[in-house]
Amino acid sequence: MIVDANAYLGPFAFRRLRPNTAPTLLQLMDVKRIDRAIVSSASAIAYRNVQAANEELAAEVTPHRDRLVPFAVLNPFYSGWEDDLKICHEDFGMRGLRLYPKWHNYQLADPCCLELVHAATERGWIVSIPARVEDHRQRSWLVDVPDVPLDELATLIKACPRARFLLLNGLNYASMQLGRKDNGLPANYLIELSRLTALLNNELGQLMANLGPERLVFGSGMPFSYPDPALLKLEVLAAPEEAKAKIRGQNIARWLVA
Amino acid sequence: MASNLEWRPDSALAPTLTPPRLDPGNTERTAGELSRRTFLRYSAATALALGTAAVHSGRRVTAAETIGLPAATSSHPIRVIDCHAHLNHRSRSTWEADDRKLIDAADRLRIEQLCCSILTPRRPATVEGFRECNQWVSDGIRRFPGRVRGYCYVNPGHSQEALDEIRRCVEQRGFIGIKLYNEHTCTEPIVFPIVELAIQLNVPILQHAGHAHYPLEGQPHISDGSHLAELSRRYPEAKLICAHICGGGDWEWTIKALRRAPGVFLDTSGSVTDAGVLEFAAQVLGVHRLLFGCDNSMTAGMGRIRGANLSAADKAKILGGNMARLLPSLAALPS
Repeated sequence: MIVDANAYLGPFAFRRLRPNTAPTLLQLMDVKRIDRAIVSSASAIAYRNVQAANEELAAEVTPHRDRLVPFAVLNPFYSGWEDDLKICHEDFGMRGLRLYPKWHNYQLADPCCLELVHAATERGWIVSIPARVEDHRQRSWLVDVPDVPLDELATLIKACPRARFLLLNGLNYASMQLGRKDNGLPANYLIELSRLTALLNNELGQLMANLGPERLVFGSGMPFSYPDPALLKLEVLAAPEEAKAKIRGQNIARWLVA
Repeated sequence: MASNLEWRPDSALAPTLTPPRLDPGNTERTAGELSRRTFLRYSAATALALGTAAVHSGRRVTAAETIGLPAATSSHPIRVIDCHAHLNHRSRSTWEADDRKLIDAADRLRIEQLCCSILTPRRPATVEGFRECNQWVSDGIRRFPGRVRGYCYVNPGHSQEALDEIRRCVEQRGFIGIKLYNEHTCTEPIVFPIVELAIQLNVPILQHAGHAHYPLEGQPHISDGSHLAELSRRYPEAKLICAHICGGGDWEWTIKALRRAPGVFLDTSGSVTDAGVLEFAAQVLGVHRLLFGCDNSMTAGMGRIRGANLSAADKAKILGGNMARLLPSLAALPS
């Protein structure tokens, strides 16, 4: 079973994404033998009122809920997020949150953000945070959005021990608190592998040694990215099949059930 | 932000780690030749890149089968040549082990040959600095026979010394090309004698390149696709390679800038795994101008080939066919 913890639907402001509809994404998943995917709206990254994008996402995935797990993008500084959270959970059946603190221009440590994380946690949601959307070197002339620093993620994780965090599109965890053994942080976060190395410096192997395979999940970033580089990492990773199975899908599936 | 200004392999940005050997059982290379076992593994490379299993019904598939041809046509094995790789500078304490890891990674990904350079840690490179790097590449060619090919790295600002170094590396050490970094934009006249020598020696120039929509502090002389296109118009017979489209900023801009520069090949390497880049490059430039590379981002390099919506025949060309055509010395497999 392969579960992609890092997928998207819809258009992105600065580059054409293909495939970005539910039927076409599912076709790609079939070809790559990916069973399920957590999806959020790529439009929401640049929308001011992100709820419009959540509505689009909900309509897109409704016929495919057995395979596509929708996460809502919310902005804790935009009016009405409490209502949007309720609608996304109770009406749309969404299962988690995706935050873009740099794109939406707020601090993870801000009380408003903590309030949103707590509210999502009360509803049993997973809180996912992409460290980046695109490579910074290819950014548009219109925007200059930095990556989310790993120490800001660590601070949030420490402040919200009851929450469950899914860290996406990051790297260099192994040299930071988040990736160290006995790091003093609650074990309430999973690290997605799409930007981690499995060869040469092999950060995946380092994180397996430091945190255990239970703390890693497969994710591709599709359709921003080809899914194959992430799949290939798992194929070449020097690890027992049992550990790979956890990373491939068991770890995130356990969280989705919970 | 300084971290965005260095166009260098991602592995150089990452901390030095020491994972276990990935392929401890691989001992067949020691004779400096490709054994049958190794050859079969290389033949499986395309299977890996195409996302198909390397083994069917308990037997290894041939390279030809993996790209949809009958097994009987497998007399033309698929080449997998990484056109952009780096051995490690010896100021790095773990250089020897890290070089070994690169070969091991190539083994895991069924990459047959790595076209390597070593860059000085700081630029502009001194004469002593680039000579030292090239000596180490030459050592690497001997340490990993049949696996490592050399690009001669020079700073064009040291005109005569650079030309002498290129001659020495190509004519005496068997290097297959020239690597230029960002000391000078490739359209500066000081670079022209190097291009003319490359034409004379019939070797390609791998030109570090990137295009961002903001000033690249620290790289004021970086070349981009438009510079390479301009250089190609001046020297249409030159074999130019635009480096790391997947680590050089706005790849759509670069590909479009190269559309009307048929003498410029595009190296597909880099850490960015954006979907669509290869399809767009194939559409705009033609598959015959695309060269597989990793720039030490190994799974990204091979994964994007595997993920691209291109035919098996096209992928075979990108993986090595085009590079073998560009480098006649690589055309024949070692016996």
